[in-house]
Amino acid sequence: MAEFKLNEAKLDELVNALKSEGYRVVAPVEEEGVFVFKEVVDPGEMRLDVLRTARSIKEWFFPRVEPTLRYKFDRGSVTCKGEMPQSPPKTVIIGCRPCDSASLPILDKLFDWDFRDEYWFKRREATTVVAVACDAPDSYCFCTSVGGSPDGTAGSDLLMRKTVGGCYLFESFTKKGWSIIETAKGTLEPAGQNEKVLVGEVPKRFDLNSVKPWLDNNFDHDYWKEISYKCLSCGACAFVCPTCHCFDIQDEADLQGGVRLKGWDSCCLPIFTRHGSGYNPRDTRDARYRQRVMHKFTYYVDKFGLTACVGCGRCCVSCPIDMNICTVVAGAAELAETST
Amino acid sequence: MIEELRHKARELLEKGQVELVIGYGAGSDPTRTMPVFIRRPEDCDHLVWNKYCYNNLTSYLTWPELKTAGKRAVVCKGCDAKAIVVLCKENRIEREEVVVIGMSCEGVGEPLFGKCEFCDVRTPKTCDIQIGATLPPLSKDNLFEDVRQLEAGNAAERWEFWRRQFSRCIKCYACRQACPLCYCTQCIVERNQPQWIATSSHPKGNFAWNVVRALHLAGRCIGCGECERVCPSNIPLMLANKKLAQVVKEQFGYESGYDIDEPLPMASFMPDDSDELFK
Repeated sequence: MAEFKLNEAKLDELVNALKSEGYRVVAPVEEEGVFVFKEVVDPGEMRLDVLRTARSIKEWFFPRVEPTLRYKFDRGSVTCKGEMPQSPPKTVIIGCRPCDSASLPILDKLFDWDFRDEYWFKRREATTVVAVACDAPDSYCFCTSVGGSPDGTAGSDLLMRKTVGGCYLFESFTKKGWSIIETAKGTLEPAGQNEKVLVGEVPKRFDLNSVKPWLDNNFDHDYWKEISYKCLSCGACAFVCPTCHCFDIQDEADLQGGVRLKGWDSCCLPIFTRHGSGYNPRDTRDARYRQRVMHKFTYYVDKFGLTACVGCGRCCVSCPIDMNICTVVAGAAELAETST
Repeated sequence: MIEELRHKARELLEKGQVELVIGYGAGSDPTRTMPVFIRRPEDCDHLVWNKYCYNNLTSYLTWPELKTAGKRAVVCKGCDAKAIVVLCKENRIEREEVVVIGMSCEGVGEPLFGKCEFCDVRTPKTCDIQIGATLPPLSKDNLFEDVRQLEAGNAAERWEFWRRQFSRCIKCYACRQACPLCYCTQCIVERNQPQWIATSSHPKGNFAWNVVRALHLAGRCIGCGECERVCPSNIPLMLANKKLAQVVKEQFGYESGYDIDEPLPMASFMPDDSDELFK
């Protein structure tokens, strides 16, 4: 139950209160015609009305590229030094949508699987996530098909819900979330008993329970070719995705030494699985696109018990040829229906 | 126009003149379309034509798996069809192996894409079948206006401009994959023995990639603008492409995508070529 609310007109004050308490404030900001999560310099640039930023909040925990170790050559010997992220600054991300928040506990599983990835967890620990419930989802949204909802709370420390009266109701779920309320108390007012909340509706497009068994049994189905023969094999879908987490390791060196970098990669790029020998086990477009769907909707479920898709719709929006993963999975669900 | 397009496509398949028609089909919402590959005459009703037909479908012509598909027809806007000229000149396709269905086009996008304001190929120049009425070309007098505006600043300002733009590059390579002329079987960023350029998405890598991409298209880019349209980070890639097109035009009097017999400026030498570029 929300106890506090913030008048929309006081959003600037909220940002300033958090900043003066030492928080680095990250929120949707316009940059050359696209909305991205950026550190807020001027409170007025924060845009909580933006439904879908170009990229997700992923990069604030798992950057596009980061060094993991540095090495030096010295007359036949090599000295290596691992590089961990320095203690990241105390950060609050405001204005992500519940789908973006939901991606965080999904990725926690992966980054704490056979190796605890401190690169991820140090940033997780330093970051408070304040989501804004969606009052106006669009036709690309399908969170309800993958277990989420426009006002879902998974992964959020605090959720802001917009009210009819031009306020945001604040509801916290964690200590970190409560700290935000404490910090911002001067800008907040008590919430009424019957505040009318604006929450949009996202129709359910498929049933996960019927999709998984079909995927498990139809690795070789012609469906994969039918849907993905025209895929251009770029990485736009994976790089804008909040849950895609595959990374590449690159060495950049000169005669004195070098650095080992960890950077985003995508299973849709043709060289993703190319072996040193030249052989590529996924050398066709359908094999690569199938991997993208299978990884999200069956392999990840088997391994971690969670679906690795939050229904944000970014991949569908960004796809150069309008491939739509929701339609693809709904198609698989339909095939599952007809085959039983 | 849609009916005429479907009729012609059906005819080509029925008469066995082509094995495959590459066109536009309905998209996931009314403001988008999706490429479709049609092999059966009865499927030609899936073809659509509207102002949301963005993709340059000639990108598919160089795909190895489609090279063996037999004779292909491809639906093209005037800008897209210019790629056919370059692909033939660079020996990527044989002109005879492709039937170009050229659509008269009053522009795509809503609002209209920038490229459409200066279009001199609203009726495709390179096509075998023309669909729709012949439209007069628009003036290209102000084509390079945005380049001129950028160049009004000094080198430091331009450096800062591109630094800011390229900082948003996430290395998804959508620009490369959507480009009909980025057909290299191994892109330079995929070479690692030796690795010529930094491939990571840091300032150096982003600069290297975007400069290499633009330079490799110098004298080749036909201005379809697909790279810029598909960029999830909204990087003005066409501005770089246009600058290079402007240099090539001024130095060699050459515009890409018009004349199939004219020698390629970057692959031929003329005694009277200007030496201006090498000073």
